[in-house]
Amino acid sequence: MRRSRIYISLILIILPALAGSQETQTLTISSWGGAYEEAQLEAYILPFEQKTGIKVSLVEYNGGIAPLRLVYSSGKSSMDVVDMTESDALAACEESLLAKIQVSLLFPAPDSTPASRDFRSDAISDCGVAHLLYATVLAYDDRAFSDEKPSQVADFFDIEKFPGKRALQRHPKSILEWALLSYGVPVEQVYDLLSSERGLRLVTRRLDEIRDHIVWWESGNDSVELLRSGAVVMASGFNGRFFDARINHDLPISIMPDGQFLEFGVWGISRHSSQRELAEKFVSFATSTESMAAFSNLLPYGPTRQSALKRIGLHSKSNVSMRLYMPTASSGLHGSIRADSVWYSQTERVRERWFNEWLQSSR
Amino acid sequence: MADRPEYQTIVLRIVVLAVLGSVIGLVVALLALVFLEAISWLNNFLLISPSERFKYVDNLKVLNIATVLVPTLGGLVVGLVLRYLVDARRSLGPPDTILMVQTHTSGESVRSGLMSTLAAIISLGCGASVGQYGPLVYLGSIVGAAANKLKLNKHNLQEITVASGVAAAISVAFNAPIAGLIFAHEVILRHYSIQAFAPTAVATAIGYVIVNVVFHRPSLFLVEFDGVQHGYEFLLFAVVGVLSAFIAISYAKGILACDAFAKRTRIPMAFRPMIAGFILGVVALWIPDVLGIGGTTLRFATIEGAFQLSELGLIIVAKFAVTVLCVGFGFAGGVFSPILLIGILFGALFGGILDNFAFFEHSGVVTYAICGMMAAASPIVGAPLAMILIVFELTHSYDLAIAAMVAVVFSNLISTRIFGRSLYDVQLIRRGFDLSLGRRNAVLAYEKITSLMHDQYLRFDAEDKIETVMSKLSSGSHNQGFVTDSNGGFIGVVHFESCSNRDPSEIVKYAAQLPHFTFTEKTNLIEAVEALRIVNLDIAPIVSSTDHKLLGVVWNYDVMNAYLRAIERIESEENASV
Repeated sequence: MRRSRIYISLILIILPALAGSQETQTLTISSWGGAYEEAQLEAYILPFEQKTGIKVSLVEYNGGIAPLRLVYSSGKSSMDVVDMTESDALAACEESLLAKIQVSLLFPAPDSTPASRDFRSDAISDCGVAHLLYATVLAYDDRAFSDEKPSQVADFFDIEKFPGKRALQRHPKSILEWALLSYGVPVEQVYDLLSSERGLRLVTRRLDEIRDHIVWWESGNDSVELLRSGAVVMASGFNGRFFDARINHDLPISIMPDGQFLEFGVWGISRHSSQRELAEKFVSFATSTESMAAFSNLLPYGPTRQSALKRIGLHSKSNVSMRLYMPTASSGLHGSIRADSVWYSQTERVRERWFNEWLQSSR
Repeated sequence: MADRPEYQTIVLRIVVLAVLGSVIGLVVALLALVFLEAISWLNNFLLISPSERFKYVDNLKVLNIATVLVPTLGGLVVGLVLRYLVDARRSLGPPDTILMVQTHTSGESVRSGLMSTLAAIISLGCGASVGQYGPLVYLGSIVGAAANKLKLNKHNLQEITVASGVAAAISVAFNAPIAGLIFAHEVILRHYSIQAFAPTAVATAIGYVIVNVVFHRPSLFLVEFDGVQHGYEFLLFAVVGVLSAFIAISYAKGILACDAFAKRTRIPMAFRPMIAGFILGVVALWIPDVLGIGGTTLRFATIEGAFQLSELGLIIVAKFAVTVLCVGFGFAGGVFSPILLIGILFGALFGGILDNFAFFEHSGVVTYAICGMMAAASPIVGAPLAMILIVFELTHSYDLAIAAMVAVVFSNLISTRIFGRSLYDVQLIRRGFDLSLGRRNAVLAYEKITSLMHDQYLRFDAEDKIETVMSKLSSGSHNQGFVTDSNGGFIGVVHFESCSNRDPSEIVKYAAQLPHFTFTEKTNLIEAVEALRIVNLDIAPIVSSTDHKLLGVVWNYDVMNAYLRAIERIESEENASV
């Protein structure tokens, strides 16, 4: 057993060097698991394998840039292509953990509109290509509230009116914004006010109020699971997962329209990847109009290309209209907040420190 | 039907005014953006802005050193710039603009103006607790005054160009074009004429377009507000107004008193801002909210529960004290932004007290915060209408504007009775220009008759013989002479008639009569006219008020002419159409 492991790692190291001569090449790609991964497989990973003959190996990744740093210091690449959040991509880019991506490697739209014009103007950055717009949302177990349903961000923090446990991602993100929004801070001013000690104090105060009612989750699927099992009555989570739970698994989970936290999902290529060319091949395949549209017709994450947006229709399995569930649907746009990735990349250290201190102080 | 040439002139004038307004609006908007960006860049670079300070929370040593050192050293630089590069040796602001426009004088030199602006950028950039709008208004008036030098040969050009510049500056600073237009009229012009209104409106609109469409600057603040819920709250808005008036009055009086105190201390003026900066820095170690313009604190004030009541009280007192200190000790900058912050915090405090202690329901902290802000700020600048419009333009809420109106009106009512129309006006009164007399009288009272003084008159020594005097009086065109002693001290007037029945060998000293009145170098046009209305005098002596020496004479004819000229000018300004 041990021996075979050594062989495998040996192969992993030698493989890239021999890449040219090998018949089957393997590309390691990170994914977020669960329904998300299933949709990715169906929409473009399997088609990619079929078309190119390249084998894709999926590894689990739950955000942050630490795994990329690890790659860098250990001298080998465990991930070639990383599916990351916009702010992580920016931070990783600043630390030179990601390779630069040329716009020229992206496919034009089927009507041959060049990619640079087909993508949203903010989608292509130095080392990342945004491939979807997702929302981290607040959802609740419909069974838990038979009378009035929670509808505002403030309701999430209102233990008296809506009693029960809440599941939150164990990460200093989106909860900061939600805590401030619950005070009635206008969306446009959230980041300005968060960038101050007073802002953080307000966040702390709000979180203190629900401290004993928080259940933390780390991987995207957990939040659905916690709601399903009845362990919590409200949870933060990704809109696509909740959609999947509701539509594909018929769970009584409702998404609050208020406070949707919008962010790009970004493809990045590890700077340390020894298979840069294969990785680029994959990124261009996965960001083609067809791939994006196929994915968005499985899970309601908004495509970042105009041409893909036009191809969104009915859910591939249940025939519900996907447009209504997109984070960009007009019903949720009022009161939604766009993640400020620059702010995130600049405040990473402060946020981490504050969050850890807050977690410590609870004991 | 107008004949053709006149028709062409009118069209030409309209075109010139519109183009002038646009150009001034454009230039002021760009300069104002540079001004604001420079301050914000300095604030970030020097760890004044909360968002930068926030990144240093785990490096308190650096943060604390910067907090004390930056305002202190900034104060030194500001003091030196004002002392050596600005002729007036103080920072220039709206009172200078008002004086320039009202008296048709050219004001301070462009260099002084620019250096004063630079000093304001450094002051605000280093976190001094002063305002940014005063320097912006002055910046607008520098551009306006420069446009006046184009020699377009138009009537009333100076007031139009300066007003356009000021309006554009306010439009840019507050994102409030209508308020900019009204501010220029309420504070600077003090009248409404179509001739000035049109180009000013063009300038303010251009400023708005530049800021909103081209550069997308964020608003000063945004609020979420659902409207005033209960009728009885209007009574409470009035109470906020009344209380805010007293805050405004103490603020204004505090600034004037501290200014006087600073001068009495005999600390060289170049070093005064440094002392204020040091004290500010030390206070900021404890209450960082007092630093700079305080935009973030201002935004927090409209948020329910962002402050504890005691904390609000503390920040209000601290901000009040450091602002009075910074302005009084000569940091370059205005007085408006700090009172906006003090006012909004006071309003929030009032709302918070209602929250905690009142037995009735109310519409939330936001309304009271906004009412407090505008009611405290309005008496300082003397622009109630502009304040109400700023609320309307910033919040797009009709309800809030009405609520602010009630508070502003009560505040202005009280402060005008107790203090004066505005801090600007009171500062101008101290410089001899009193707009509370009415615009016409203020202009007339500002003009000293020494500007009309003549030195061509018959002057006799007290020891001169009557016969010499009589021969001179009969030979020349003068029918009276002025007698002085050996030191030049004024003794009296002699007429040919009053000498004719005296002994010709007598000295003139005894024939001289004191006139019904004498003017001094302090006598202004309006006093002269009042005197000359009662006594018919062709020519009147001007005598030094200190040593009683004869300085010269003034002709009745000149006084009346100057008086009529001034009135005609004001009439033409106020009634001009194009």
